[in-house]
Amino acid sequence: MSGGPTARNRRHRLRQDRTLLLMTVPAIALVIAFNYLPMFGAVTAFQYYDYITGFLASPAAGWGNFHQLFADPTFWQALRNTLVLSLVQLVLYFPVPIALALMLNSVLDSRIRSFVQAITYLPHFFGWVIVVALFQQILGGAGVLNHFLRGQGLTPWDIMTDPGTFKYLVAAQAVWKEAGWGIIVFLAAIAAIDTTLYEAAAVDGAGSWRRLWHITLPGMRSVIVLLLVLRLGNALSIGFEQFFIQRFAVGSGSAEVLDTYAYMYGIVANNYGLGAAAGLFKGVVSLLLILAANKLAHALGEDGLYRGTR
Amino acid sequence: MATDSTGLGDRDSAALSRRSFFGAAAAGVGLAVGAPAFLAACGGGSAAQGGANSGDLSAVLPKYAAGSGGPAPDLPSVTGKATASTDPGFLTYPTDLVKTVPAVPGAGGSYKAITPIWGPLPKPGNSYYQAVNRALGASLTMAPADGNSYAQTVPTLVAGNKLPDWIQIPTWWNANINVGGLAVNRFADLTDHLAGDKIGKYPHLAAIPTGGWQAGAWQNRLYGIPSFTSQANFSAALFYRQDLLAAKGIRPDSVTSADSLLALGKELTSATANVWAFDVLWLSIQQMFKVPPLSTIVSVRDGKAVSGFDSPELEAALAFAYKLAKSGYVHPEALAGNDADGKQRFYSGKVVITSDGTGAWNAQDALAGLAANPKYRRGAFTVFSADGSQPSIALANSATIVSYLNKKLSPAQIDECLAIANYLAAPYGSAEYTLINYGVEGEHWTMEKAGPTRTTQGTKDANQNTYQFLASYRNVVTNPGYDSVTQDAHAWAADAVQHAYKPAFWNLNVNTPAQFSSISTGTQVNDVIKQVTYGKKTVAEFKAAAATWKTSGGQRLVDWYQKEVVDKYGTGQ
Repeated sequence: MSGGPTARNRRHRLRQDRTLLLMTVPAIALVIAFNYLPMFGAVTAFQYYDYITGFLASPAAGWGNFHQLFADPTFWQALRNTLVLSLVQLVLYFPVPIALALMLNSVLDSRIRSFVQAITYLPHFFGWVIVVALFQQILGGAGVLNHFLRGQGLTPWDIMTDPGTFKYLVAAQAVWKEAGWGIIVFLAAIAAIDTTLYEAAAVDGAGSWRRLWHITLPGMRSVIVLLLVLRLGNALSIGFEQFFIQRFAVGSGSAEVLDTYAYMYGIVANNYGLGAAAGLFKGVVSLLLILAANKLAHALGEDGLYRGTR
Repeated sequence: MATDSTGLGDRDSAALSRRSFFGAAAAGVGLAVGAPAFLAACGGGSAAQGGANSGDLSAVLPKYAAGSGGPAPDLPSVTGKATASTDPGFLTYPTDLVKTVPAVPGAGGSYKAITPIWGPLPKPGNSYYQAVNRALGASLTMAPADGNSYAQTVPTLVAGNKLPDWIQIPTWWNANINVGGLAVNRFADLTDHLAGDKIGKYPHLAAIPTGGWQAGAWQNRLYGIPSFTSQANFSAALFYRQDLLAAKGIRPDSVTSADSLLALGKELTSATANVWAFDVLWLSIQQMFKVPPLSTIVSVRDGKAVSGFDSPELEAALAFAYKLAKSGYVHPEALAGNDADGKQRFYSGKVVITSDGTGAWNAQDALAGLAANPKYRRGAFTVFSADGSQPSIALANSATIVSYLNKKLSPAQIDECLAIANYLAAPYGSAEYTLINYGVEGEHWTMEKAGPTRTTQGTKDANQNTYQFLASYRNVVTNPGYDSVTQDAHAWAADAVQHAYKPAFWNLNVNTPAQFSSISTGTQVNDVIKQVTYGKKTVAEFKAAAATWKTSGGQRLVDWYQKEVVDKYGTGQ
């Protein structure tokens, strides 16, 4: 047999992990098909892309699309909106599933626990169209709440169409829809904590608050940091549908995000090059964000996305 | 979103709803969205050059020959100004279904066709499709695609080299999809098959009014086959609930100006009772204020090409639309951008006055409205102008539904498809028309006193426009079982044509060069316009956007129009 000890070692490991590796094949195929191959499309960011002639025959644009993009005030507005909305969601949304998981964990009756869990999960499976319609039916100008307010002779509350409070509205929608789903990971992290630690702490006289602070939270820390890193990396991918649906309710001034911008001014306007440039810009910035967030995780002594050199 | 350059599209935003159209599509009646299509022409097959038709298309367009074989209309066409004439109306359906196509049109070929659909997808290979294909003598596989995302579907099909043999593209997406470029590069040139007397082989196609064919001509060649051609297409009508106004003793003819409309809004709105006077009325407001149609973005004033966004009429119309949005008389959900429920709001009486395509006036609408309220009746205000002066209403292009054949088809295949198109265009009340529109007697419909009435199976399979979107008889007004709908719609149109005028570039396709492919959609400005009508942006913000559009290429587009279209052919009339 040829090959040095390293090669033999590697082959040995391959054989040993064969089943595990095979199990990753479908996922890898998906990632290649839907994430890596489409990356070649980024070439259109440097073209005046004409979908009729295709990218082989479209004229090259150099940095032309980026010049146009960066000169467009609506693009900067979209970027600003994206960052603001992301930040508001980070502050208002991110802690909610953690708190929920901790609360659920303290519920002893397993039937009540799974009941509550099921109810909070459910909205995750609703599409944004339905979620927004529900909010509209309840909080909208002709909704239940305002109908009641008018009946009482009070001023209606136009939360659904107020551009100023839109960021809180979408955070509230996100909490309602996704917080229940978000607790799964945290519950799993809690379940992984060695129960003997609690027993030992209890024996030492630690109350429930101290156990939460010194055992549960530190036990969840790596998961929290991991999700935070992912969240920061995705700060620019705040979503499309939720904002697109409500774009005309509050106006593009507060609801335009990078994804809706790329759709409106790239695809709809038959300006694919500009849309691709906006997308590529987003991708590059997101990559930088994720690297920065990962660095931060390492600085905090956590693994982050991959193990750093400590 | 300003999907279409029409500025109309602003209201039926691309992704979520195109309800103005839905009504029309459902009924197969006149399509409302007025998008003066631009008979564009790109120089010599290269989409990069651009250009307009030479103005004289007589050598290219088929020769019109009034058809025979259909019944005489109960409500004949009424001719008005500017060659506008209303679609014939029918209150009765012939019981003797005459065969008007003697031979089986197909030669056993297999074709795939894609058409937009606004509604649930019929089951592939259903009994209706099978019956029609048997009659056609060919396997024409219909693959309807969601109409709301259709403007994104077509470029994907093209880029993936998956264009079907036959495809329909509504003209309001001409600019966004660059249909002129597509026609020249990917669609079959039908000129040699149909021009002049050659159309004699296809008598039902020859009976389509010439204006319809103009919508399918690009660069002085003929590519498209029109459906639902009408010589009285208007982009919208201002509808009201006849029953609700009558119950309050309000006479619709009391509305003669923008101010009286606003006053009526105040009278009708009762938020505590969950009733608002208006939906978003932008389509009709443009008509009231005599705004030159935004479909082409470029307009003509005193013989000069100008930016359509610069018109004082548009500014005044937007100011009024903004005022309306802030008045408290518009339903809050309409202002929240929920177009999808617009019809529902109207049916339930939560909105009394709405603006919609004229095609919304149809039997399905009556059926749905009556289900919500047994007294439901749709009416429309006769055309009036904002300041109470002599009204005028812009004609929309004679056809907004145009289908194209794939360039890859052989001449023999093109002939077969055209023979099929001829069958699909059979006159109202003929055996062929009945099969295409209702299906098979006994299975999909039964003959009642009012005319063909769909069975459950028919409602499931044969209730939507599929084949009709590839070719159809000229538009007619017919609503079996709902005579008042036909009468109301016909009476409104008979009045409207008396005020009709042809806007600049009417029925003239202009293909702008590739460098304008994005600027000619006017997306950014149309987006702001829509937001002004929702009260989310001000008229000043609109003016800023219009100015930006001009400096970022719009003025060059206007100059190009001046040089390549106006200087050469005037406004195309």
